[in-house]
Amino acid sequence: MNILVFVKQVADSEAKIIIKADNKSLEIENKYTLNFFDEFAIEEAIKIKEKFKDSQITVCTYGSKRSIEALRTAIAMGADRAFLIDNAQHPYENSIVVAAILASFAKKEGFDIILCGRQAMDDENAHLGSMIAEFLSIPHISAILKLEIIDGKKARVENEIERGRATIEVALPTLFTTQKGLNEPRVPLITGVMKAMKVNIPVIDPFTLGILKEDLNSYSKKIKLLSYELPANRPPVKIIEGETPEEKVNNLIKILKDEAKAL
Amino acid sequence: MDFMLTEEQEFFKKTVTDTIDRIVTPKAQEIDEKDEFPWDVWKEFTKLGYIGLRYPEEMGGMNADKIMCMIFYEEIARASVGFAQSVIMNMLMGTYFLFRFGNDAIKKRCLYPAIRGEKIATICFTEDQSGSDLGATRTTAVKDGSGWRINGTKMWITSGPICDFCTVLATTDPSKGLKGLNFFLVEEGTEGFSSGQTINKLGCRGSVTGELVFDNVWVPDENLLGKELGKGVVYVGDILDEVRLMTGAMALGIAKGAYNEALEYSRKRIAFGQPIAKFQLIREKFAEMDTLMNAARMLLYYGSWLLENKMDCRIIAAEAKILATEVCLKVVDELTRIYGANAFAYEYTPQRYFRDARFLLYGGGTHEVLKDFIGRTLIGKL
Ligand SMILES: Cc1cc2nc3c(=O)[nH]c(=O)nc-3n(C[C@H](O)[C@H](O)[C@H](O)COP(=O)(O)OP(=O)(O)OC[C@H]3O[C@@H](n4cnc5c(N)ncnc54)[C@H](O)[C@@H]3O)c2cc1C
Repeated sequence: MNILVFVKQVADSEAKIIIKADNKSLEIENKYTLNFFDEFAIEEAIKIKEKFKDSQITVCTYGSKRSIEALRTAIAMGADRAFLIDNAQHPYENSIVVAAILASFAKKEGFDIILCGRQAMDDENAHLGSMIAEFLSIPHISAILKLEIIDGKKARVENEIERGRATIEVALPTLFTTQKGLNEPRVPLITGVMKAMKVNIPVIDPFTLGILKEDLNSYSKKIKLLSYELPANRPPVKIIEGETPEEKVNNLIKILKDEAKAL
Repeated sequence: MDFMLTEEQEFFKKTVTDTIDRIVTPKAQEIDEKDEFPWDVWKEFTKLGYIGLRYPEEMGGMNADKIMCMIFYEEIARASVGFAQSVIMNMLMGTYFLFRFGNDAIKKRCLYPAIRGEKIATICFTEDQSGSDLGATRTTAVKDGSGWRINGTKMWITSGPICDFCTVLATTDPSKGLKGLNFFLVEEGTEGFSSGQTINKLGCRGSVTGELVFDNVWVPDENLLGKELGKGVVYVGDILDEVRLMTGAMALGIAKGAYNEALEYSRKRIAFGQPIAKFQLIREKFAEMDTLMNAARMLLYYGSWLLENKMDCRIIAAEAKILATEVCLKVVDELTRIYGANAFAYEYTPQRYFRDARFLLYGGGTHEVLKDFIGRTLIGKL
């Protein structure tokens, strides 16, 4: 099995994030981590490899040199090799551009399965996986909760649907996006950590992947970020006064009717 | 000159922090409250292989550099010093003499399982009448046939009540003082070897500490851990700098844990209509704590760098241990002020940091002994 896992390094949930004066860029405290949903993708790849021993797990990200840390985490967990596609030459970073670049990498490397997280914890777009599948003209199944490879040619997967689960059979190659509940991502062994520290992670120029500058330029023009805004401050908590529970409930109903207009 | 961690060391630090925060941190308060050896956490954590960090790869270790070791000691102590103490005992002093002097059978029987976390190791210097003053050691080892007969009682032994083996300091010739001291391996199950009382400690709880009794214990010749008789203290000297730096790193770990709690609390706690972090006097505390912690970390890393590069660091290591521990005591003190009365309640964490910090005053040399040594060395013979 040739397994590709696409991952992203995102700002840690505890990192401080400030919207810069232009309202279009962010200042992020230097605390980054591997995207939460990608951990399930890496774990699943390792589980497939445990079953199909001659598998190879390749992890790849499109990002800055700083993202190497996220790739090392994947190696520490058990991935075989990792590549960074350097974004330094290509500042426009909308999802179509990223999907096109990652799809070109997949085409070049070849694959039986592609795994990636359901969404990135920073921009929460949840569309990169499907875009990559589209560029590669392969099927994709989102937010899977169970994955079983049959004869190395098909996969039987379960995913969540409204108030239930669906079981789907799909021919490989297919792209799956992963979510919490699929597995329990492992804590790296120290042997993995040491391997990850020593591993050489090649840095790739996106234009060596057979992708055309004109295409990227045209993709990048399709989406334009206008501005970022912070959520509005929440009004202060109101404590409902009253001598007895009954009086408090009556006061609450009054407020819900008159002030909140909820009733 | 370069003050940066390498990209690889940064990665190691992040991974260690994440791993410890996943396995140890959530259990820290419980470990302290129960004050029992946390076997479940021990099993889950030691199977990851960190105990072998400083040992060669062919022994199941990782041959990590000294800076990485310090990062590890700091991070694990940040989470729970009680747990850290048992882990680090297996990593360093509890296994050092076996690694250096044990024959193959001893290594196979004790060292490698200890590196895997399957056996609990410890070291026994202290007695009721001797702590800093090793020359006053009363435990004796007398030649008996093809082995040695050991008699004495050791106090304050980390993991003593649960250890599978220990390295015991004993005198083979009381007339020679420090030059009569040697180390011996004694394994659980050896006749006459038993554990006495367990100490109810102020801090570092969850590491079980107690008395070990050696009542006519006989061990074979190969259990004498040392090439030459009477060189025990010299061999201790070879690991002393690392032990002192390690103790400093643990102190810094507690300081960092306490600092993080203080920061979080001061951002949230409202007084006079604003977060207390907005008061100048509270801000001053953070400036002070951060300055001191940075200074301590610099000295600690400098000492570790000297050690890694096989340069003399006897004075720097002693200074780093003192500074880091004093900084730790200052930071936990500030935490208990910032936290107000809640610091005084057992249900919150500041009291744990406050108690735990005291522990580091003793191991790796008391500050009185270390300062005397530093001063004496700097001034020279008069
Ligand atoms: C939680 C915990 C775990 C421990 N685990 C272990 C263990 O696993 N194995 C082990 O062997 N020991 C262990 N110890 C004991 C520790 O190593 C000793 O406490 C330490 O060596 C100091 O000895 P002491 O407590 O007997 O103090 P003492 O040496 O009796 O000192 C008492 C006081 O006199 C001062 N003093 C002593 N000599 C001088 C001098 N020359 N000049 C100036 N002042 C001096 C000291 O600084 C101190 O203030 C542990 C201790 C604790 C608290």
